[in-house]
Amino acid sequence: MSKNNQSDYLLFFRGNTWEKNLTPEELKKVVTDWYAWFQQLAAEGKCLGGLPLLDSGKLVSGKKGRAVADGPFAESKETIAGYFHLRVANEAEAILIAQQCPGLEYEGCVVEVRPVGEQNVERVGGLEHLEGIAKTVTTSLNP
Amino acid sequence: MDISGLTDHLFRHEAGKLVSVLTGIFGIERLQLAEDVVQEAMVRALQTWPYYGVPKNPAAWLTQAAKNLALDTIRREKTFHDKQAQIITLIEQRGGGENESESPKFENEIKDDRLRMMFVCCHPLISREDQVALALKTLCGFSPPEIAKAFLTTEAAIAKRLTRAKQRIREAEIRFEIPEGDELTRRLDAVLQSLYLLFNEGYKASSGDSLVREDLCLEAIRLATLLAEHPAGNRPKMHALLALMLLNAARIPSRVDHEGNLLRLQEQDRARWNQPMIARGMFHIAHSASGAELSEYHLQAGIAAVHCAAQDYASTDWRQILEMYDRLVEFDDSPVVALNRAVALAEVLGPQAGIEAVSAIQNLQSLESYYLLHAVLGEFELRMNHSRAAAGHFRKALQLAEIKSEQAFLTKRLAECEPTAR
Repeated sequence: MSKNNQSDYLLFFRGNTWEKNLTPEELKKVVTDWYAWFQQLAAEGKCLGGLPLLDSGKLVSGKKGRAVADGPFAESKETIAGYFHLRVANEAEAILIAQQCPGLEYEGCVVEVRPVGEQNVERVGGLEHLEGIAKTVTTSLNP
Repeated sequence: MDISGLTDHLFRHEAGKLVSVLTGIFGIERLQLAEDVVQEAMVRALQTWPYYGVPKNPAAWLTQAAKNLALDTIRREKTFHDKQAQIITLIEQRGGGENESESPKFENEIKDDRLRMMFVCCHPLISREDQVALALKTLCGFSPPEIAKAFLTTEAAIAKRLTRAKQRIREAEIRFEIPEGDELTRRLDAVLQSLYLLFNEGYKASSGDSLVREDLCLEAIRLATLLAEHPAGNRPKMHALLALMLLNAARIPSRVDHEGNLLRLQEQDRARWNQPMIARGMFHIAHSASGAELSEYHLQAGIAAVHCAAQDYASTDWRQILEMYDRLVEFDDSPVVALNRAVALAEVLGPQAGIEAVSAIQNLQSLESYYLLHAVLGEFELRMNHSRAAAGHFRKALQLAEIKSEQAFLTKRLAECEPTAR
């Protein structure tokens, strides 16, 4: 499958309550498994990156951002605790990866799978065309 | 190599250490706070390590995180206002950072904190079962569900024990210190008894999750080692206790076969005994053999040592074992010890003598519902070729055994005496 047929998805890890009651041994296991999972996906080129998000921050809203409030980031099942940026064949593959999340062992951990909006189709088509030319040139240079 | 660079039980062991260190800073009345920030530090690790990788020195990272969280907490607390400056200095000095943890001075300070915590947990004013639960939680980093699993009880029951123990610490104003002088001797005895109980909980094969149980034995050994290495605990009796733990724990792997079936001593593969552990045990036996006091721990360690020293079952020095049991019954008049003595006696003087020794046990009726009494009698009868009598005893034992591996073992023994019984 060519690269152009791949789509980007973000996995959001929701919930920041489920870890609180894990035993030290369980915490250790989740850390180890999660790290291995992330490394594996990166090595396969399926994960382009990911970052944790801490339980603090602000909400900016209103005209010109007048209202700056403390984020509703207390313990909740909705809070986003981190994300992975995936580049995979389709939604089914993204879901398959989400299902491997080691946190899902524990109640309260939810993985949200969201497709990233496509860029302007015309431009993508143009790029494809350019890529095709580049390929031909390269092939002709290295017979 | 472990992909993440995390050592076995890292979180659990670090938690046990950090709670003691932070309690040293905040005071024993704030034990809960220490526990909370340590748990929170581990959660922080879970939130970030999967993305950035495991830090080079995970223990130092956890220490630093717990220290920062503790600082954040006390800055928010009004009641700590006057003490704040003092506490912040203490945390900065003693929290232990990457460099600090390498300094022997801080290592010793951390060890002292752990010992202080040990003396708190094993204080005679706290009931024995609460002591063990508290020690597992604060010193060994076990969580309530794990403790519940080890003691075959509910999480709620463990939570209750922990609350009760902490309440007792407050009410009795138990101090976070290593006692001195005469008090040290008395208090040390209480600590040894709790460690012995902790070890036995793990060692008795009769119930519970086997992995957790082995962990209990190893934790008891860890704590006992810590204490034995410290001037306050460096006493013959302490070394005897540690030796008995090591020499028994070394033989745990051979107690069952690959299917988890119980094996009798003569069936065990001695190649599976943990030789380095036996060597450590023998080292502590040597250290225990000084001073004027002969304790139960000495005798039990001695019995274990004789087993460890025997090349095979046939060369076991049962006479020496019997001698030690003869003295052990003077310390401990429990019928279980007397039953064990009868087994040793039968090895020296034959099964008939064993049966007589069993019937001479005082308070024998209290063993009536103990499956091992009947299993032992079955073995004695079988050795005399009294298959029918043996089968009767094994059948009785089988009715009383609760654990699958014990039942399987007895079924096997029963089958072995039945063909000739018919």
